[in-house]
Amino acid sequence: MKNRLRVLRAERAWSQAEVAERLGVSRQTINAVETGRYDPSLPLAFGLARLFAHPIEEIFDPDGAGPRAEDPAG
Amino acid sequence: MIDSPRNPEAETAPAPWWAWCGTRELTATDRRNLRRFNFWALAWMAAWVAATFAVRFWGERLGPAAWLLAAVPILLGVAAIVSYWQFLRHADELLRLIQLEALALGFGSGAVFMVSYRLLERLGAPTLDTSDPLLVMVVAWAIGQWLAARRYMGGGRG
Repeated sequence: MKNRLRVLRAERAWSQAEVAERLGVSRQTINAVETGRYDPSLPLAFGLARLFAHPIEEIFDPDGAGPRAEDPAG
Repeated sequence: MIDSPRNPEAETAPAPWWAWCGTRELTATDRRNLRRFNFWALAWMAAWVAATFAVRFWGERLGPAAWLLAAVPILLGVAAIVSYWQFLRHADELLRLIQLEALALGFGSGAVFMVSYRLLERLGAPTLDTSDPLLVMVVAWAIGQWLAARRYMGGGRG
């Protein structure tokens, strides 16, 4: 599942470690989610949504078609 | 703090698959729970070795106390199981997935080995001790951790 975590994190200049610490998970978990190797649990997905103040569907793309916000077609 | 601007690319590289062999990549909770499990597991092994020697060499002299002595490693073993259970229940979710996949490989390999080797014994393979499948389980568990960590942690590539 693709996601916009890297972009959202870059916008805020947060490191993976900072996001991980805030959510109580390991940095490797954030890295694995970010790189699409691992789909997060529902609580972690909600935690990420709350942290970045975006709805889950704006962060994660279940169709794997690519990050929605970066798609110029909308 | 989370609000302080920092370079987001500074810590983005996945750690190599073996990073979780140490504790640097673990959360504080996982580190604490893993230390607790390691303590009970070591205590269990030490008690098992001590009880085995004691029963073997002084078993008759100890009398009924030998039963009590044999019960000590069992109790410590149960403590180790409970501590591993707690470690797993509270573990970071990726670490828990890696452990789950490793346990599946370990348990499955041990079960298949245990059942299949009986057939091989009938065909002339050397007879094994009843505790030998445990070795297969532990080795397969370790291999499972390596495979799962490589899969989710990317083998150190960016």
